[in-house]
Amino acid sequence: MNAVGLIFADSYDVAIDELTAQRTLAAIPFGARYRVIDFKLSNMVNAGIRNIGIITTQKYSSLMWHIRGGSFWDLDRKQSGIRFLPPYAYEGVNSNYENRLEAMLAHLNYLKECREKYVVFGCCNYVENVSYEEAMKLHVDTDATITCIYTKNPINKSKNLHVTTYEIADDGKITGCYFEDKLNGSQKNVSASTFIIKREELIQLIEKASRSGGVSFRNDVLVPLIKEGKVMACEAKRPMLFIDDLSCYLKSNLKLLEPDTRKQLLKNEDRPIVTRVKDSAPTRYGKYAVVTNSIIADGAIIDGEVRNSIIFRGVRVKKGAVVENSVIMQDSTIGTGAHLNYAVIDKDAVIQDGRLLSGYITHPFFAGKGVVI
Amino acid sequence: MLSKKKCVAMLLAGGQGSRLAPLTTYIAKPAVPFAARYRIIDFSISNCVNSGIDTVGVLTQYQPLELNDYLGTGSPWDLDLRFGGLHILPPYQAQKGGDWFKGTANAIYQNIKFIKRYNPDYVLILSGDHIYKMDYDIMLQEHIENGADCTIAVIDVPLEEASRFGIMTTDEKGRITEFAEKPENPKSTQASMGVYIFSTDALIKYLEEDEANPESENDFGKNVIPAMLADGQKMYAYLYKGYWRDVGTLSSYWAANMDAIGDKPELVLNDPGWRIYYRHSFNYPQYIGENALVTNSICGAGNEIDGKVNNSVIFNNAIIEKDTDIEGSIIMSECHIGKGVKIDYAIVDHGAVIKDGVTIIGDRSGDPVIIERDSVVSGDIMEGGRK
Repeated sequence: MNAVGLIFADSYDVAIDELTAQRTLAAIPFGARYRVIDFKLSNMVNAGIRNIGIITTQKYSSLMWHIRGGSFWDLDRKQSGIRFLPPYAYEGVNSNYENRLEAMLAHLNYLKECREKYVVFGCCNYVENVSYEEAMKLHVDTDATITCIYTKNPINKSKNLHVTTYEIADDGKITGCYFEDKLNGSQKNVSASTFIIKREELIQLIEKASRSGGVSFRNDVLVPLIKEGKVMACEAKRPMLFIDDLSCYLKSNLKLLEPDTRKQLLKNEDRPIVTRVKDSAPTRYGKYAVVTNSIIADGAIIDGEVRNSIIFRGVRVKKGAVVENSVIMQDSTIGTGAHLNYAVIDKDAVIQDGRLLSGYITHPFFAGKGVVI
Repeated sequence: MLSKKKCVAMLLAGGQGSRLAPLTTYIAKPAVPFAARYRIIDFSISNCVNSGIDTVGVLTQYQPLELNDYLGTGSPWDLDLRFGGLHILPPYQAQKGGDWFKGTANAIYQNIKFIKRYNPDYVLILSGDHIYKMDYDIMLQEHIENGADCTIAVIDVPLEEASRFGIMTTDEKGRITEFAEKPENPKSTQASMGVYIFSTDALIKYLEEDEANPESENDFGKNVIPAMLADGQKMYAYLYKGYWRDVGTLSSYWAANMDAIGDKPELVLNDPGWRIYYRHSFNYPQYIGENALVTNSICGAGNEIDGKVNNSVIFNNAIIEKDTDIEGSIIMSECHIGKGVKIDYAIVDHGAVIKDGVTIIGDRSGDPVIIERDSVVSGDIMEGGRK
């Protein structure tokens, strides 16, 4: 595909405070072995995009360590490949971008140096397995200025967070764009914050919006174009799992326990979701292991009971421990006799023997990175 | 960057492994899958990397396609280097003709040029068909301290098994006084592991002499080692005490796989200080279903397990349906085990399909039942394969 990919590692609308205390949104672990950015990166690579820039603002150390040179996605090429775009202040652009427009303005030189005809760019506040080829075909066929990817079924989208919705005419043209305080009503076309545009046009639009004091890609670039009737909508038909807050994060992880979601998101053979290789050992189940309806990553050692849960790499669930409806991240240990229900346990945490920790699906119990309970 | 290497490893990976047939019908023995996600050769290569040896020549000959694909540029082991790294060394034609590798010594002889390119002081000779975790650097230090021409790694084996191995007799300082290949009446229990360190000059001298001898079978154990010993070269045994298994037969292959399961497995794969590296396939984490009961087993990635699995090794992307009972078996990648199946003491090779309701039971006194690669089994198999 003749396009450069641009990924915003931060979302400028969402904050899932617990999980982003020490990492950027894109680096949040998801689905037993992935990080959120793996989905966007893999989607781009699967669409044939070979040149990808990642715009970061803060706390991007774990993201860089995860992606490295991009070799896991075959992006460690001599020509193009992965390019990290960390903040740098110049000509009055804040180093701590507050919106996408500012972020792109700071990296306008990167966009100018690229040679690809199009840009596919977007955020990481959800996971999906989407065909950018289809979106690109629609974009080219309809001769739109911008094509916006959206979903009619925003799974686990928070009801309490700002949301961008589109009004779409029968011919697929976007006729309205609304920034609403919260998601209400059922039949909404929710923005996937992912767009296709000609690179040269994007550069011009950013420069123009910036000159006239614009502060928002949506308000100062997208909305005027919608009024001119130059914006098309492309529906992402596969499941799109949002991670707006901790409850949504837990629900979206547990959604992978449904065979159909798993199949469409992870098991799509032509479109693998690729993540960093860790050379973990195989999963080891002990004599006392009882595991049902769960996803278990490699390197885990399970000797307790695990039900309806997502277990990341290198997790230890000791004999007599019970883990239900929970997400246990990498290298955490659940001690003997501990009982977890609706919990999200961040990396390297230690839940000592006999601890009873329970939240609810709407208010999961959370233990931070490296916490000992 | 240095223009020489202290030690270069030469990994003999050309053996057919006929006693492992039919697992080796289409793939070389070192490429045979092992312990849910590895290949046998991963252990030797990872040992090299973990021992600080970054130049590895892999000598291939038999069914090299899958092995070559698997090795690639050596990147899974971080051996894709500009100087050194992993190199596949197949037999080749040269101006004065060419030949298959006639024996282990001839295989190295034909690649002396490769060794000389790195100007190493020492050459480590390995075979790619053993499962073990060994720090070759400790052995190399002993070799250097002894001022040896050749050091042979040995393990202590039970006396009754000693006649299956090359047996060393040593003096009190560990210097080898006698070597007997598969002796009827072994004089010691120190068995060669097929791991040799040579000082480079001695190796090249004896390989050239061996090549010039038309009587020779060009084999390290049969020819080169005895010739060096006869000449009074300084040869030492290095006693290795860790885990080591020869997986040359179906039952020993099965048993070594089983060593990786349990609460305190003999073969520890989770050791962060001694990782076993492997080439990854694209897959996803495994799903354990509502009806599953997986105990005392190891499983790779991408599996969908809804049956009962105990004392077993499950590779990648296998489907095991409900009401199925798998005990003491090895299920390789991409297999599909239907509903209501019972499997006990079997090795189900890559891509095999076991239809609903089939019972496969092996005889534990012999080799496990082997279900061949990509086969479809719809009828019961009782008792077992070759004994």
